[in-house]
Amino acid sequence: MKVFARAQRLNQRTLLLCLLTALVAVSLVSLLVGAGNVSPSQALSMLLGGEDSEAYFVVWELRAPRTLMGIAVGMALGVSGALLQAVARNPLAEPGLLGVSAGAAFAVALALVLGASAATLRISVAQLGALIGCLCVLGVARWRGVGNDPIRLVLAGAAFSALLGAMTSLMLLFDQRSSDEVRFWVIGSLAGRRLEDLLAVLPSAVVCSVLIALIARPLSALALGERMASGLGHHPQLIRALVVLCVALLVGAATAIAGPIIFVGLVVPFIARAFAGPDIRRTLWFCLPIGPLIILAADIISRVVVAPSELPLGVLTALCGAPVLIAAVRARRLPTL
Amino acid sequence: MLRSVLRHGLTGVLLTSLIANAQARELDTAFGKVEVPDSPARVVTLYEGALDASVAAGITPIGAVATRGGNEVATYMSEHIDTRQLEMVGVARETNIEAVLRLQPDLILATPQLPEEQYRLLSRIAPTVVPESNGMSRERWKAESRLYGQALGKEAEVDEALESVEQRAAELNQRLSEAQVGGTAYLARWMPAGPMVMSTELFATGVLASTGISVEDERLVKEGSAHSDILSLENLSMIDGDWLFLATLNDEGQQALDAAEQSSAFTRLNVVQQGHVVPVNGQVWSSASGPLAAQAILDDIEKALLP
Repeated sequence: MKVFARAQRLNQRTLLLCLLTALVAVSLVSLLVGAGNVSPSQALSMLLGGEDSEAYFVVWELRAPRTLMGIAVGMALGVSGALLQAVARNPLAEPGLLGVSAGAAFAVALALVLGASAATLRISVAQLGALIGCLCVLGVARWRGVGNDPIRLVLAGAAFSALLGAMTSLMLLFDQRSSDEVRFWVIGSLAGRRLEDLLAVLPSAVVCSVLIALIARPLSALALGERMASGLGHHPQLIRALVVLCVALLVGAATAIAGPIIFVGLVVPFIARAFAGPDIRRTLWFCLPIGPLIILAADIISRVVVAPSELPLGVLTALCGAPVLIAAVRARRLPTL
Repeated sequence: MLRSVLRHGLTGVLLTSLIANAQARELDTAFGKVEVPDSPARVVTLYEGALDASVAAGITPIGAVATRGGNEVATYMSEHIDTRQLEMVGVARETNIEAVLRLQPDLILATPQLPEEQYRLLSRIAPTVVPESNGMSRERWKAESRLYGQALGKEAEVDEALESVEQRAAELNQRLSEAQVGGTAYLARWMPAGPMVMSTELFATGVLASTGISVEDERLVKEGSAHSDILSLENLSMIDGDWLFLATLNDEGQQALDAAEQSSAFTRLNVVQQGHVVPVNGQVWSSASGPLAAQAILDDIEKALLP
């Protein structure tokens, strides 16, 4: 038995390594492929030391930042999806689906309408919105009759998202001045974002990493039930509060960078659990490469399909994610968390 | 005494009805022939081009719709009329029919895109003039202005306004070629993810072309569409012509430029480095049409290209 467990763990290490290699490969593709004139071979020969100023500019100034941001956003969304699912004990809980991203986007829209424009302000505003969204979601999850039924939680989340979306639209109706900028935001995209935006969210990423490292163990104990966790010396309320804080920081930062992107937080932990099993600690590790893989793949497709224009990333993740959600619900084999 | 009052009154009524009958005019509109009053006094315009043509003809409407992206009519209008007199009866895409009814207009001038159901409702309030819509073209606005002029009984005034636009464009064309200024130009709107290229078949690009500048859209714009999808930042060189007119719906044209200049893909364009980017007001350049808007556009071109 012990030997079997060790073999499985070894196997998981190899798997994780494979995923990391795949991530490096996809990042490279993301540098090589785009909507513009610079072809993959041109980009490659530039990377190998050729001198092509056009390719240099396109690869380093346009594609590299969005690749980095795709990696960051993918990690944030994947991890926060896994955390939210664990704390809501519901495999369908997802920041995008449950209105956490909508809360962040709503807060950003509100700030823009009120006249804010500074990039740094945006991140804290989005995180505050995500925090409020997160609290609402978990409030709903604790509601009697909703908490134990994954599908009813998703329905409640959809209603909450729709409400926030309607309020955002209403605000824009009264203030058409900001509507273009906000409309872009409400879809979600990596294009035209600057590296400074990424640097601005770095502090919250560090805080989150530390927090997650601290709460991973108690969180997996929480999966055994509240009494068991208390018996093991953990504090369920505190753990929940810290998880909510992490989810809000991560989703807020991701939304501040790329706008609300839904379904990624659902799909990534889903795949991660298939590799890692139910333990949240291992699931989180697997979310780290899988999230960026999915975001980057979607972003690469978004650049290529309608060149010389680009499709917004959020449209693509929604297109690919919706079938996964339907399949997950139809399979009726939802593991309880 | 009574008899004479009656007699005068009766002749008066007879005379006015006779004149009205003799002078009631019929117009060909998109929804067939429409009879319009001889000299309409309470005009409501439901289209920016109609407002422009009315004011150019010397008639200030009592009601109008707000410009796209704003809560009032376009700001250039305030150079010609006191816009506070205008009652707002909706926005460019949606008319508040009850607000129109409250104004009790005797003539309604509407957009070529007016849906038939709306037309039916409006024409029960007052004669409603809707120009024929023959797809997009640079010259369409002139025919529209003329029809609105006919409806207002001010054909001569509108014709004069149109002629003066054409004269001014020809004169500007000559001055530009004497100064050896010209070449290719693009009209774009800057969105947070990049620019949308405006069609060459629009009112503003048409006026721009009439001054001898060759306006392009790189065939990025689908037929019948006013603008392209947002161009990928990697493809900005496609709009790197001699001039780039950058429109925004905000009052401050500078805002579009500020937003664009945050993108290094934009600042490395030749047209940017030569300082040939012209921020323009989208209320005039991408929403309005009509002789007064054309003059405003020609003003912008003259200011930017012949400093």
